[in-house]
Amino acid sequence: MSGFFGFDTALPERAGQGGAGGGGRQQQFAGFQASNADETFALGGAGEEEDLAVYTWGEGMGGGLMEGGDELNDETFGGGGNGDFGNNFQFSSQPTNAPSKGYGQSTGGGKIASTQSRYKPKPVADPFAFSEDDFYSSRPSTKKPAAPKAPSRPKASTAHSGSVDNLWNKPAVSSPGWGTAPSSIAKPTPPPSASFPSHPSQGPPAPGHIKSLEEIEAEMAQMPMPSTSTAAPRQQQVLSLEEIEKQMMEQIEPPRQPTPQQVAPQREATPSQVPGLAGSGYPSQQALLDSMFPELGKGAIADQPTAPFAPGQEGQRTQEQQSQPIQPSPEEIARVEELRRRISTKIEAMSKYNNLMGSSDKDFITRIQLSQLATADPYTSDFYAQVFSALKRSRQIAEGQGEPTVVQVGAGLGLGVGGPVGNRFGKMGQNTMTKLSTQVKKLVENRAQHQKVANTAALQGALGRVTRGNAAAPRPVLAIPTSNKPEYRPASQLNEQTGVHRAALTRKQVMFALEELYDATLELEQMRRDAPPPTAMEEIEVWHARCQAKVDLIWRSLMVMEPLDVSNPHPFISLINPIKGQRLFMRLLRHLPHNQSITLLSLLIATYIQLDVVARAPPPPVADASLLTKADRLDRAKREGATDHFLHSVIPGVDMIINRCGLGLVAGMLAISAQRSDVCRVAATRPGVALYTALLSKAQSLIRAPAPDPMNPQQSQPADPAEVEQWSKTFTYFLHVLLPHLPEFFPSSVAQKAAFGPGAYLLGGDAISERDGLEMERREAEVWGFAAALAVNAAEEDQTALVGALRETILHTVQSARNPTISPARSEMKLRNVNMFLNGLGLDAAMIE
Amino acid sequence: MDEATSAGISEPLDLVKLSLGERVFIKLRGDRTITGVLHAYDAHMNVVLSQVEESIHLVDVTDQGEPLPPRVERRNVEMLFVRGDGVILISPTQQ
Repeated sequence: MSGFFGFDTALPERAGQGGAGGGGRQQQFAGFQASNADETFALGGAGEEEDLAVYTWGEGMGGGLMEGGDELNDETFGGGGNGDFGNNFQFSSQPTNAPSKGYGQSTGGGKIASTQSRYKPKPVADPFAFSEDDFYSSRPSTKKPAAPKAPSRPKASTAHSGSVDNLWNKPAVSSPGWGTAPSSIAKPTPPPSASFPSHPSQGPPAPGHIKSLEEIEAEMAQMPMPSTSTAAPRQQQVLSLEEIEKQMMEQIEPPRQPTPQQVAPQREATPSQVPGLAGSGYPSQQALLDSMFPELGKGAIADQPTAPFAPGQEGQRTQEQQSQPIQPSPEEIARVEELRRRISTKIEAMSKYNNLMGSSDKDFITRIQLSQLATADPYTSDFYAQVFSALKRSRQIAEGQGEPTVVQVGAGLGLGVGGPVGNRFGKMGQNTMTKLSTQVKKLVENRAQHQKVANTAALQGALGRVTRGNAAAPRPVLAIPTSNKPEYRPASQLNEQTGVHRAALTRKQVMFALEELYDATLELEQMRRDAPPPTAMEEIEVWHARCQAKVDLIWRSLMVMEPLDVSNPHPFISLINPIKGQRLFMRLLRHLPHNQSITLLSLLIATYIQLDVVARAPPPPVADASLLTKADRLDRAKREGATDHFLHSVIPGVDMIINRCGLGLVAGMLAISAQRSDVCRVAATRPGVALYTALLSKAQSLIRAPAPDPMNPQQSQPADPAEVEQWSKTFTYFLHVLLPHLPEFFPSSVAQKAAFGPGAYLLGGDAISERDGLEMERREAEVWGFAAALAVNAAEEDQTALVGALRETILHTVQSARNPTISPARSEMKLRNVNMFLNGLGLDAAMIE
Repeated sequence: MDEATSAGISEPLDLVKLSLGERVFIKLRGDRTITGVLHAYDAHMNVVLSQVEESIHLVDVTDQGEPLPPRVERRNVEMLFVRGDGVILISPTQQ
């Protein structure tokens, strides 16, 4: 191999020697050989060390070429200058190198041409590509140059008796031989189109081969004589190649040898041509290939004009192509050409490995792959892809594409197959999917039977998932979940205990319950996605029942119905304390029916004070963070983070539920809160402020403007006087509890109160950084909003009391807003905050002296 | 109650599952420790963590071969994939 690369490195020099002309092929050959001989090239040294074989091989070939095939070079490679592919050609030239080496005869010429193309791409490059192209797609015309080489090949291989060389050469040699084998078979049969349908199984399946057949027809029509005449020698040639391979292969694996060649033609029936062909795994793979290169079909047609005939003819054709009615611009053509070339190059590169595996091999591997894909829970194990494709589908729903994203393979197993257009499996249609699923189904059934016989599954995975297996119980390729774990219901378990009061859930229990909840939620969401078609009444009923059962399970797991005082914190609060639980909150709310969510909210409000974010609210900020120990700082940061997260993930859900409540319910909630918890303590925390603000503003909007909402008839009714009455009573009580402490809710005053020493002075001033200051104002805004909500709800005399209670704070804020040392942004925020409250009372900060 | 909890735990990694989304402490080969929020794990103990702080415990040696007191290098990483073959233990961080 290194010799091969070494050759490349030597090239620039050689190219320099060879001169720029595309026609100097003979010269180049000479140069090449010379390079072997003398040391001008780095190559020579490298070759002698270990890759000598490659070199001598090349030499021999070069010699052969010079003797026999050189006259055809012009035809094969073209006179040059007719195609401008520029540097793009490098793409094709690189991959083709490897095959060309393996192929032998053309190696000498091919290598030189390709390498030269790298340095002088224009003249030589494209003609070579054509020949290489055609060579691998086994076009008849390319066979000409190949023919003379055959004799040199055996010579070369036998000459290098070195074992290393043989090892190197073998695989490379054998694979192209197989690749060409089908073409050789196809060729002798006269390719007229009439014969084609009658022998569908003989049709070469690989994309390249399809091309060749069509092309052969076209060529036959145009110049039948040359193609057939060239074909004959070629066939002999191929046979000889195969013989060599046989000899080689026999050393490796004698029995294998015949199968690939014999199987190849059958396998090669293309799906497109023979759609109904009973499938081994192959057609699907073929389809996969096709889907990967959709242009291929077009490419085949487009290929014809560029087929390596005599250069003159080729030139004519390209002209014809250009004079076609559509008249694509030259760049367009170049682009398409380039694309096509890259595709065909890719195929060539892959074709090196064509037919290496028998169909049973392929089936085997396909099955292994499928079994890896199959899972008991295609949605969750493929969760992100599924959600992504669901989103994508929802966007494309207008186009009305609905395709399954999961292939069921029975027994609760399935494959996720991605996007709406089946991107992952290309254009393998429903057909192939069915085939797939039957394959896997068979596999799964097999496995299940085995497992039934020797059920070691209980112990498997007890120490992780490493099972080694032994003769008696071989390691299963596909592990099938034998039974579902017994459902763990914390609630019911807890209920078995008679004591009304007991310890709070341990952290481990909480985590465990949360995981169960997540699982249940995922399953439920999956179920909802799996809704049966609206026409199937019975199925829908069953589906509804199943969903309902799941919801019930979730409801029980939430432990909302536990007695309020069962523990402190309440189990539900324990569940919602960790961030994990908070994340789940919104997701769960979507599934819970209205009354359950109301119950849940009531519980939440009643036990609000048990929430971590309330019970362990972040302490007021200090003037100087350097006064804190590191642990303290970390703790503060953690609590702040928890509060933020709560506000971010739970409060929206709370708002949502509150928005669905009527006035009576809102009043009830407020009453519960006032009764059950220390309102002042709750209101002193940000989550508390958010909760109360939501309740108060909802109530106000219900009382004031019961805007007729056609979507929600419940809200369109004017507020029930009794409810209003109840509300105002509750609120008055609430307000009076709150009033004395109202100023304490403002973060700034809390901070001031907590501060001592120099910090107290620093706090009021601008010692705090601007960023902290703005953050402080933002926090203040929350409380001002709460105060405003209080104000609008309050009766007239209460409003006076409210202003009285907040008088100090208002004045202080307005004054500090007018302080010239404060930044304009902050002062503006301060004013806006105060105005939020004052405007609710019909006042404005501007009225304050 | 503990029985109820352990009923659903059938293999060690089920315990790791309980720490999903939580901050965990991971000890790694090569005198490294990591804390971070666990996002995903698999049977090989490959894990994905976020908000990671990695600590590398080093003992420098003087020219005379005398060990200096151990020191710790720390670095923070936003998101990290840890290959499982280096994992020695995973534990929830002490709260």
